Amino acid sequence: MSKKLLTTLCFAMLLAFPLVAQQTVTGTVTSDGESLIGVNIIEKGTSNGVLTDLDGNYSIKVGEDATLVFSYTGYETQEVAVGSQTKIDVQLSAGVNLDEVVVTALGIQKEKKALTYSVSEVDPAGFAEAREMNVVNSLSGKVAGVNVSTTATGAAGSSRVVIRGNNSLSGTNQPLYVVDGIPIDNTNLGSAGMWGGSDGGDGISSINPEDIESISVLKGASAAALYGYRSANGVVLINTKSGSKRKGIGVEFNTSVRTESLINTYDFQREYGHGRNGTAPTTVDQALEEQLYAWGEPLDGNRNVMQFDGVERPYGDAGDNIGRFYETGLTFINTLTLTGGSDKVNFRFSASNLDNSDIMPNSGLTRRNFSLRTNAQLSDRLSATVSAMYVSELADNRPRLSDSPGNANYTAWSLPATINVETLEGDPDKLGAGADGTELQFNDNVFVTNPYWAAHQFDNDSKKDRLMGKVQLRYDIVGGLYARGRMGLDRFTNRTRNLTPYGTAYSPRGQLSEGQREVQELNTELLLGYDQDLTDNITLSLFAGGNQQRNFSESIGGSGNNFNIPFLHAIGNLQNQSVNYGFSEWQVNSLFGSAEVGLMRAIYLNGTYRNDWFSTLTSPVEGAEGDNNQGYYSAGVSAVLSDLLVMPRTIDFLKLRASYATGSGPGVAASPYQLNLTYGIFGQGHLGQALGGITNGSIPNSNLIPLLTKEIEFGLDMRMFTGRLGIDLTYYDRTTENDIISAAVSSTSGFGSKIVNLGEMSNKGIELLVTGTPIKTQDFSWDINLNYAYNDNQVISLLDPENDEESIRGGESRTRSAYIEHVEGLPYSQVAGFAYVRDEAGEIVLDDNGLPQQGEFTHFGTGVAPTMVGFGSTFRYKNFSLNFLIDSRWGGKIYSATNAFAYLRGLHKETLEGRETGIGSIPAEEVEDYYGRIYSITEQFVYDADYIKLRQIQFTYNLPSSVIANLPISGLNIGIGARNVGILYSAADNIDPESTYNVGNAQGLEMFGVPATRSVQFNLGVRF
Amino acid sequence: MKQLFRNITLVAVALMLTTTACDDGFAELNTNPNAAIEINPNFQFSWIQLRTSGERYENWRAVLIYSSTMMQHLATTCGYWSGDKYFYNAGYSSSLFDRQYTQAVKDIQDLIATLESGAAGDQTMLGMARIWRTVIFHRLTDIYGDIPYSEAGKGFIEGIDFPVFDSQEFIYKDMLKELEEGIAQISDEGGFGSADFLYGGDPAKWRRFGYSMMLRLGMRMSEVDPAEAQKWVEKAIQGGTLQPGEDAFIEHTNGPEGINRNGIGEVLDLTNGSAGEGCPRLSATFVNWMKDHNDPRLDIIGTLPVNGTEHNGMPNGLDTETLLDNPTGTSADDFSTVNQAIVKVSSPMMFLTVAESELLLAEAAVRGWHSGSAQQHYENGIRAAMKNWERFDASIVVEDAVIDQYLADNPFDEANAMQQIGEQYWAATFLNEYETFSNWRRTGYPELTPVDYPNNVTGGTIPVRLVLPQGELGVNPNMQEALNRQSLGTSFPDHFTVPVWWDK
Repeated sequence: MSKKLLTTLCFAMLLAFPLVAQQTVTGTVTSDGESLIGVNIIEKGTSNGVLTDLDGNYSIKVGEDATLVFSYTGYETQEVAVGSQTKIDVQLSAGVNLDEVVVTALGIQKEKKALTYSVSEVDPAGFAEAREMNVVNSLSGKVAGVNVSTTATGAAGSSRVVIRGNNSLSGTNQPLYVVDGIPIDNTNLGSAGMWGGSDGGDGISSINPEDIESISVLKGASAAALYGYRSANGVVLINTKSGSKRKGIGVEFNTSVRTESLINTYDFQREYGHGRNGTAPTTVDQALEEQLYAWGEPLDGNRNVMQFDGVERPYGDAGDNIGRFYETGLTFINTLTLTGGSDKVNFRFSASNLDNSDIMPNSGLTRRNFSLRTNAQLSDRLSATVSAMYVSELADNRPRLSDSPGNANYTAWSLPATINVETLEGDPDKLGAGADGTELQFNDNVFVTNPYWAAHQFDNDSKKDRLMGKVQLRYDIVGGLYARGRMGLDRFTNRTRNLTPYGTAYSPRGQLSEGQREVQELNTELLLGYDQDLTDNITLSLFAGGNQQRNFSESIGGSGNNFNIPFLHAIGNLQNQSVNYGFSEWQVNSLFGSAEVGLMRAIYLNGTYRNDWFSTLTSPVEGAEGDNNQGYYSAGVSAVLSDLLVMPRTIDFLKLRASYATGSGPGVAASPYQLNLTYGIFGQGHLGQALGGITNGSIPNSNLIPLLTKEIEFGLDMRMFTGRLGIDLTYYDRTTENDIISAAVSSTSGFGSKIVNLGEMSNKGIELLVTGTPIKTQDFSWDINLNYAYNDNQVISLLDPENDEESIRGGESRTRSAYIEHVEGLPYSQVAGFAYVRDEAGEIVLDDNGLPQQGEFTHFGTGVAPTMVGFGSTFRYKNFSLNFLIDSRWGGKIYSATNAFAYLRGLHKETLEGRETGIGSIPAEEVEDYYGRIYSITEQFVYDADYIKLRQIQFTYNLPSSVIANLPISGLNIGIGARNVGILYSAADNIDPESTYNVGNAQGLEMFGVPATRSVQFNLGVRF
Repeated sequence: MKQLFRNITLVAVALMLTTTACDDGFAELNTNPNAAIEINPNFQFSWIQLRTSGERYENWRAVLIYSSTMMQHLATTCGYWSGDKYFYNAGYSSSLFDRQYTQAVKDIQDLIATLESGAAGDQTMLGMARIWRTVIFHRLTDIYGDIPYSEAGKGFIEGIDFPVFDSQEFIYKDMLKELEEGIAQISDEGGFGSADFLYGGDPAKWRRFGYSMMLRLGMRMSEVDPAEAQKWVEKAIQGGTLQPGEDAFIEHTNGPEGINRNGIGEVLDLTNGSAGEGCPRLSATFVNWMKDHNDPRLDIIGTLPVNGTEHNGMPNGLDTETLLDNPTGTSADDFSTVNQAIVKVSSPMMFLTVAESELLLAEAAVRGWHSGSAQQHYENGIRAAMKNWERFDASIVVEDAVIDQYLADNPFDEANAMQQIGEQYWAATFLNEYETFSNWRRTGYPELTPVDYPNNVTGGTIPVRLVLPQGELGVNPNMQEALNRQSLGTSFPDHFTVPVWWDK
């Protein structure tokens, strides 16, 4: 096989545009004698496809031995082998395709009607054409119950995907991603926190959307049960495209240009300029102190006022700083795909280059994907799949977020109206620098960095090289008995460089950190299966197997501060140098089995069991207590009532299902060395003495076990009016027990937290998917898709019997007056802080000085929206197609530190009140004290995070087959897509309500992130 | 078919039977190759001492931004130096509390538990560790009042997640008992040797250090419980306090890690890895006091203003705008700064100096708790205080003749002894601001004139404690009781004005 493969490959490489033996097939598609317009015709196994025209005619160029697939909403799909035919007329019969097959856990294919649980398939159409930098963002609003949160972290940032609500207060709540059967790493490589930082990206963003054939989302514990300890957060199965039998090499080239422009959500006051106490500065010292405050005098463009650099400039509206500072993001994506195959072997190769410059100046992402997948039938019984993906990713200057040091956003957003951000540019050859080459400081707080210096002189780069590979063999032993073995590897090296340059105000001689981290996961799985129809009415499907998962991570780096030679930013030039080293290794062994019985091909019973053994829970200290393994099971039933009972004519299909499963999330199972107290050596000693102490920041616990989820799920699947209306409804009720809580303990215990199995949480909800085709005429069709999900989350217990603990702190804002807490009896991730002191009538009570007061500590609501509604629609007219997607969230809260600072600095429009008249007993020149006090009152800055966004508009035009027939190509499409087109509704002042700065368990905090953007993509695809 | 089922069953059973082997080698795999399960007490004691000296974090916030400006050693117009104008910054105020428990308390409790169990080390180590524990805790309670003490740092050892807040009275009595017992445990055998940065493990010096600590803590109770104070002061004097040259301090170095450096130096050393903290100037109160007393330390502590040939202190409580109306200077460059030679990252960090010990002995003599000569101790104290600066930089030399002249210019005056001693203590503890702040609160000397900046949170009085972390209230259910006990209300900024137990 390999020789053949190599030959084929080499051939493909050498002849990038080879002479392709193609034939043109034409024909007409009809139904009951009427021609059908817009029927989708695809050459099987490729993305080569056309649509029928007005008269139902089509023309398509195909490879030899191709098979054409004719599909049309509301009609049964047909496949026709082309052979030597050049004209193929097809009659489609109205009806519903009920024998669809879906990919389920461990890559086992099942008939959809046999499923006892919900599996959502996502149509990846448009993923490539209206592209998100991180492919999972494309899921937003498309699948009921799948909550995708993007972060305000720039182009190369992470996303947070949560399915059916959050299960764990401390562990990850994100699903397991499985690509072609192999679990891949989705570690978030760094996140911003209250003291700043940047997002290091995640694992799933490496996947090239153009390689994706289909995505199945296993939402519930039942669907995912066979993934054992990784099942609780659901599983996203990604299947990549493969080649198919054809003559010669199919070549496809896609090119896209994507522009990104910021959505300016800021609406700050432009009536008063920089200054304090109602006066503008008159000296340089004052200007330095007051440059960031808009508590000055009314704007007057005819008057010159002192600024930080000693220059007096007009005290008028200096214009739009945000527009000046940020750039238009630009992304070029080019993808070349080669496919080919014979009876025995097929392959698909793709190479893609993505080149992005972000809206943040001097920031961007380059990503190269190479993917090769081959399938081979080695003998009648033995088949093999070998695939590999290589991804090389270079993130240039990941933006710093949250707190001010090195965060360009912080300043770019928050300058008073009288300051032109370009006055901070400094040396045009070294942006942000003053005459001596060091940071041009424009205010007296060294920690508020010049935005040009932050964007252009800081470095925060990462380069990731990643290889995902898989080898799979399947042997059909006899009858329905088969064996399958596979090995999958995901390995990456992430090289990071983080520079605070020489001359930075808060670190005059600079800092540098260089690091490299290697992460690997290796899975080996063996499975024995048996599928047999015992009688016409009884079908049987069994399998059992085992998996070994081995993970490894090692990091090595050097860091230090104080460059000796100015501006030589090399690690050897540091006065103080330290070496960092980290290592961890862990393993999970599993055994699993599954059985399914079908009766009358209408009732299905299904059960699974899996047991996992964890190295992480095996104590290295002899005689320690605690179990190191856990078992998980599921049981379910489905009944296709429409096959069992007589139904009204309008109902094509009706299925009811019920299932129950236990599951778990990775959490502690993925964290080695946590069971006992350990000591380490710190630094490099002092005066010749070694320094050693406790390394644990958390109180260790040798009795840890993984959390356990229990979920019951009921569902209804109905299709009516010959497929014109579909309803898929699910109810689920899941509880989490023994959640590993890094329980907040008093820091006076010596530790920041304690790891315990204490948490209980509940998620109950419904998911509804309605699909419909309200209009369908010869020329025009209109499809709609409405999905709705409501999740009722509640933290049931955090109870430590000893201490009666009622809440856990999950995060804190830089303002130090807002927190995220998990509170018993309330939903996860409560935005918490101080309310106003109010009287019985609800009026704000002022203190003796006339200032509002911080009152009771209050939980304002959850940072995770419980309700999501998505609405999508596609219009098709002849060869044109237009779709849009509206996405909304309801019921969540967000604390905006940006708005808190806008109060403190006098930028917020609400701070205009009282500037001439004073407020109560506060004289006009001291109103900044009034608003400065409000800065610390959390309540003022907690907003409803509700939004409605026009998430996507996409327009596609396929060149008609009649035109293509005269061209030396076999297909051409042109598309324009736009993502995040607009915020149709938002209740938050000045910010995008979707702008949290991290993907962890502190959801609901915002502070000076990268602004939201709107992207427009132009796409051209040619097939030869 | 039956055959097939049998085969499947066999395979399944075979798989199940292997379950005993499903965790082979896991214990080894879960052993961290980069950490140990026990530690040499020497390594841990060195670590704890450096952690007590602290990081830039709390030295910047609690020591410099708050204490040094409230005590009018330093002054600044920078708005975020909250102590200069009596503003409340929650994080700055609670910084010492926020850091010390997880950094020093955790390991000292672990070390003491190990030493007590006899698993490692010896009794002399235990004695020294117990004395060092009081060094850590007395600062915390002096600054914050009632704090977690008896149950603190025992999250792992005793499983205490939420330590109670002990009353300061209880803490003081227990610390004094600990000092007494700790000193008694120190023999000429064993100890930490050169892992001890204070005295290289010298048992005699450690005993004297222990007694000087006892003197300090005993004297702290002079106003609230004079009888008890006298008892402990007498016990300390009887035991024998620090001798000349025996200042308790830790040498710091240029690095490589932050922990190797002096936390104050990391802020104020403008040449060496600081954040370029150019805000502070010497306070006019401090400069004028030195000028009034013709004090040779002025040239050691201060560097002449950029604009000027004479030392000039900045008045506390000014901002850049009010500075413009200030008669003694209208630009930051008109004022003296701290001499870079004494705030290097490699400067020593003082914990308890002979000067302090001697000045306390002088006070004891004045109070009649000590038969020695108040004047002699007073002069010893001043001599030690001046000489102490020689430790900071080779360029600093204080000739005996200069000290003699100063003593001649400023003779001991029995009638104003308490004021004289208090002011000298204030001068001698420059940069050891925790101690400055405590002794000022106890004695009322020097008599500082508070500033009254608009909208300060104390009503224009100098704070008499720092405010506990608000966050702790949400986490630790025992904190509320401590607030109630000390009459600390719901408004945290108001806590600044509530005296601690010994501050009567």
